[in-house]
Amino acid sequence: MKEALNKFKSLKLVRMMGFNRVVLIGVIILMYILFTILSPILHQGTNFAQVSRLLSALNYGYFIGFLALGVTFVIATGNIDFSIGPVMFCSALISGYCMKQYAFPLWLCLIMCVLIGAVFGTVGGAFVAYLHLPSFITSMALMQVAKGLGSVFTKTQTVSWPQGDAPNTWFRNFVRYKGIPTGLIFLIVVAIICAIVLNHTRAGRYIICLGANKEAVRLSGVDTRRWEMLAFIICGALAGFAAIFYVGAYTTVQPGMGDTFNNEAIAACVMGGTSMAGGLASILGTVIGAFIVALMQEGILAMGFSISYQYALTGLIVLGAVIADTLSRRRSN
Amino acid sequence: MPEVILTMKGIDKSFPGVHALDHVDFEVRKGEVHALMGENGAGKSTLMKVLTGIYTKDSGTITYEGREVTFANPREAQQAGIVIVHQELNMMGHLTVAQNIFIGREPKKGIRIDDNAMNVEATKLFKQLGIEIDPKTTMSELTVAKQQMCEIAKAISHDAKVIIFDEPTAALTDTEIEQLFVIIRDLRAKGYGIVYISHRMDEIKKITDRVSVMRDGQYIGTLITEDCTKEDIINMMVGRVIYEDPKTQSQCPPDAPVVLKVEHLNAGKMVQDVSFELKKGEILGFAGLVGAGRTETCRALFGADPKQGGDIYIEGKKVEIHSPKDAVEHGLSYLSEDRKRYGIVLKKSITENSTLATLKEYTKGLFIDRPKEEKVTQRYVDELRTKTPGIDQLVMNLSGGNQQKVVIAKWLVNDAKIMIFDEPTRGIDVGAKQEIYELMGRLVKEGKSIIMISSEMTEILRMSDRILVMCEGKKTGELDIAEATQENIMNLATRDIDMREGDK
Ligand SMILES: Nc1ncnc2c1ncn2[C@@H]1O[C@H](COP(=O)(O)OP(=O)(O)OP(=O)(O)O)[C@@H](O)[C@H]1O
Ligand SMILES: [Mg+2]
Repeated sequence: MKEALNKFKSLKLVRMMGFNRVVLIGVIILMYILFTILSPILHQGTNFAQVSRLLSALNYGYFIGFLALGVTFVIATGNIDFSIGPVMFCSALISGYCMKQYAFPLWLCLIMCVLIGAVFGTVGGAFVAYLHLPSFITSMALMQVAKGLGSVFTKTQTVSWPQGDAPNTWFRNFVRYKGIPTGLIFLIVVAIICAIVLNHTRAGRYIICLGANKEAVRLSGVDTRRWEMLAFIICGALAGFAAIFYVGAYTTVQPGMGDTFNNEAIAACVMGGTSMAGGLASILGTVIGAFIVALMQEGILAMGFSISYQYALTGLIVLGAVIADTLSRRRSN
Repeated sequence: MPEVILTMKGIDKSFPGVHALDHVDFEVRKGEVHALMGENGAGKSTLMKVLTGIYTKDSGTITYEGREVTFANPREAQQAGIVIVHQELNMMGHLTVAQNIFIGREPKKGIRIDDNAMNVEATKLFKQLGIEIDPKTTMSELTVAKQQMCEIAKAISHDAKVIIFDEPTAALTDTEIEQLFVIIRDLRAKGYGIVYISHRMDEIKKITDRVSVMRDGQYIGTLITEDCTKEDIINMMVGRVIYEDPKTQSQCPPDAPVVLKVEHLNAGKMVQDVSFELKKGEILGFAGLVGAGRTETCRALFGADPKQGGDIYIEGKKVEIHSPKDAVEHGLSYLSEDRKRYGIVLKKSITENSTLATLKEYTKGLFIDRPKEEKVTQRYVDELRTKTPGIDQLVMNLSGGNQQKVVIAKWLVNDAKIMIFDEPTRGIDVGAKQEIYELMGRLVKEGKSIIMISSEMTEILRMSDRILVMCEGKKTGELDIAEATQENIMNLATRDIDMREGDK
């Protein structure tokens, strides 16, 4: 048994992807089978093995995926960001409101989404990197700011982006175009770019190394503050990206919400093998983790449970992943 | 001969790509100090970690007090009476000294930890060891040397029968080492079995009864210390003879230009009005006791800590250095004395560590130039003979001495014109030490200048062209190598203290 496991671990593909990632893919398949069997039993008349279910899970996976990719950079530096969900909503609210109220062109609104996210990232990053505030507290505060700002700007109204036969709905093609799940292509392309940045550029190298030992990097003559802040900016900008894909899939955004997505994105990230202690990150793991989260929420709904179960389950996943991470680190010491 | 308390037979241990221990035999008797020697990566620490249950052995037997034992973890070994003082410090920085010493077995008052009782116990312990440390200070405020003393105190505070010292003196100065030796002799007289790992040859002659030598994970043999010479041991370790002669004359021409001038440097209590010059092609030794402010002076110069005042001139031009980044840009480098905390990124590979200070030069367009990076890493792995299965190995899997070589490689890759080496040979074996000395010699010949902080008197006398001595944050003198002796350096290093004592 042990030998077979070792043999499996030493396969070329397994080594390339990392054992943890292969296990996660197994988990996805298992979950799919489980939901397909359980949902008709628990919830009369549902059929989980439908294309529409899969597409709906994908829609959820895109924006969670972008959020999770962003927060991967922050977690790699040994920090955390609890503001990404509300920041995503805040940028969707503000730019959507501008489009409706002041007739901003659509392309400008899309750019605004990313910019607003990046501004939040810059502010948070500056506090953490230059003023040495704990990221936990800073991002909690920014989360409230993002929620409040979104509400104030829209006068606490729900904002609807164009849909149906309205003009200017081409942004929805980013998510699906003539039945093709285009969002998947975008997510994969961005993930590849993230992986390249993280593993093959100076920025990525510094971000990961400073997450492992900041003082050693600083004493090597590197301005660690700059790179630490950059991680937050990337995270914020990707939250803006997530906003585009959120409205592309669901079109309406409510003020004062979004914090549940923080945990889901962080869960995706940590499940995928990015260490909460910093210094270790896996983009592939994050993407797979995002789809596990997405499939789970779809499955929970299909089985007829309320979405609150999803929150509880995500919390447990984060806990489990952190425990696994800590244990494996303790063993290797 | 006293009875054998511990026998290890045929111990075997492999890591991925490394056969760290190859059927090693080792024994310890009651009331002896048994030295374990060998080059960096020979397997000394691994053998001791197998003994204390940190690693599990692949095969072999351990017999302790007549019974065959296998410890599942260090705690079990401790309870049986085997404790280890690790090569790398393992203290919790945010706890107090006393809390660190009694961690996991704190005296309790009801359900609360009794800090008072703990402090009293710690004070007693320090008194018994003859060291002056306040048990209430937080660990991170202590220097490496003091932290090391705490580690030793912690080990002794257990009811031990066998104590293992893995390079306990790497961070200590001569006076503190003497103190430690008094402690060890006392333990020996009480019948403890002591394993002593060190790369310092003179210590081995001074304190140990027997020497066992390992090479490449194999047991080579055991000598009675009294009956052999230093050269015999070295020969057995590295297979050749190495001589260490002090320098008698400065190798730096008197008319060499000044590359670095520091005037009235002030930084906190530990750096008070320090001024000095460094010439091109010169090795300037910084001597002094631990806590003399040598490291602090260099850290302030390098921009690692804030300074309150002082001017720095490089090649005659005044420069502003506010961060290590500025310093590196002005051609300075600083190899830290505390490699685990300030020198290396343990979780990353040799390659990633080697180019950390110079990454900009190893990028092509937007991307890191992997082949170029790997080439230079491989070059220094070869040149410094770093023992590793490959350059992708994580630094945390290297032996202590080999980790030090990675830090040195980082600054050699950086190729700065002024290099500050803070305890460069800490934990490095005699052979490699020799190579690093030769390397430093080559560097100054190429026109680089070196500041070398060292607590080893032989190293100071062997390498320096000029010696700057510090005491309690002040510069107390400067000596040309031709006039320097152990005595006059020690005099300067304790001058302020003597003067104060004289006042009383
Ligand atoms: N956890 C580990 N994983 C992989 N290799 C390891 C690990 N620990 C030690 N090694 C390897 O085992 C060998 C022996 O290491 P060890 O630390 O015992 O050397 P040492 O004799 O104590 O050297 P030094 O004098 O430098 O401290 C080295 O080649 C080292 O790289
Ligand atoms: Mg060792």
